[in-house]
Amino acid sequence: MLSIYFGDLKDSIYNTSSYFKFNYEKEWLTDPFVSEMIKDVDDSVVLGTGAIDSPVMGVIAPVSLSGGVKTLILIDKVTDKVFNASNCGDNCAKWILKIAEKKDITINLRHIMNFGKETFSAKILNDDVIVSSMDELIPIAGRYV
Amino acid sequence: MKGRYHIIVQSSHLKYEFDIIRNITIIKGDSATGKTTLAELIREYTLNGTDTGITISCDVPCRLLEGNTWAEQLSLINDSIVFIDEGNSFVSSNEFASAIKGSSNYYVIITRESLHSLPYSVTEIYGIHSSGKYNSLEPVYHELYKIYSSEKATSSKPDTVIVEDSNSGYEFFDTLFKNTKCISAKGRDNIFSLLTDGNITGNILVIADGAAFGAPMSNIHSFVENKDNISLYLPESFEWLILDSVLLDNSDVRKILSAPEDHIDSENYFSWERYFTHLLIEKTEDSYLKYTKAKLNPAYLHEKSLNAISQKLPKLLLDLI
Repeated sequence: MLSIYFGDLKDSIYNTSSYFKFNYEKEWLTDPFVSEMIKDVDDSVVLGTGAIDSPVMGVIAPVSLSGGVKTLILIDKVTDKVFNASNCGDNCAKWILKIAEKKDITINLRHIMNFGKETFSAKILNDDVIVSSMDELIPIAGRYV
Repeated sequence: MKGRYHIIVQSSHLKYEFDIIRNITIIKGDSATGKTTLAELIREYTLNGTDTGITISCDVPCRLLEGNTWAEQLSLINDSIVFIDEGNSFVSSNEFASAIKGSSNYYVIITRESLHSLPYSVTEIYGIHSSGKYNSLEPVYHELYKIYSSEKATSSKPDTVIVEDSNSGYEFFDTLFKNTKCISAKGRDNIFSLLTDGNITGNILVIADGAAFGAPMSNIHSFVENKDNISLYLPESFEWLILDSVLLDNSDVRKILSAPEDHIDSENYFSWERYFTHLLIEKTEDSYLKYTKAKLNPAYLHEKSLNAISQKLPKLLLDLI
């Protein structure tokens, strides 16, 4: 289940790239689910625990992945913390929904992320309501961001 | 600082090329488009100069502002283009807004958040488009594209016109759309709730000052992009509309409007909207068109004035009046 808190949230991790830099575990990169996210969002191929082949940058270290995919990895792997998912572009939205199919996650959003035209399920913690479409999410989220 | 700045940031494998024309520019969009890499290139060049192999071509210095010591860093930066990467929470603070108001710098802020304390334009919100691949002979080329347009038109006559302004602008549009219900939103940040609370039905036209409408635009665009009954018209400002019309017919004004960035100093004007108000007041001071923002001079409501100003409206909008 996906839970979202819109707006300022005390104790959420705002600078996710900084958190990733000092806390990522190399084994995360070779998890097939993570590799698939990296391939889809960054168009990059995981070569091993410490190297990724990027079409733009060449062979890079995990800390040089995009801010969006690093945030996705943290949301997937560190579920006892709440991360600022506004470091993720709309091309990350489907992966947030996929992670939420596997486990309960809570994210913090400081903008209205586009979760697409299909129905989905998300609990908006600010109002304690569950929404199933962008038409339902936008009027609520827009009051907080 | 004023003027247009052409910036080229280049390394062996990457090239960014774009123009910055206002004091506040926002870059956002999908992940993995190269936003943070641009910030990193500027950071590395600032720290280590040409040793990095990075080149930056720009008429003024490009600097990166980051971290909890941002205010101290900023106190030492003048007449520069200041880049701020995502992950810096200070960009949404009132302290930051106060610090950059009256500043001699331009600011390029990478964020998806709506920065309600800052008056930035809908037309200065960009994404990054890239072409090419690593290892090709040419560096991967990155350029900016505008995310929002200042117009979203439908072909339906509006049942309700929502005007951001509560003073002169509202009086003008209330008269122009004489057979249509016209309401004032009494401020840009109220428009989203007016659109979403469900109390206004039918076809809606929103008219707001685009020069300072960047912050609410993101939410409003999310809401209206798939709605055929809502149109947006976001000229620079109501005053710009008058200045740009044949009503004034002033060659000095025409020259200024052809390149406002060459005349609007960021130290004096936090947004272009304020400059256009100042310019209209100055240019009409001793004429029958003497302009004040609080109360519209009735001369602007005469048929000749209405016609002259409304000719600057997009044709699709004109057809709806």
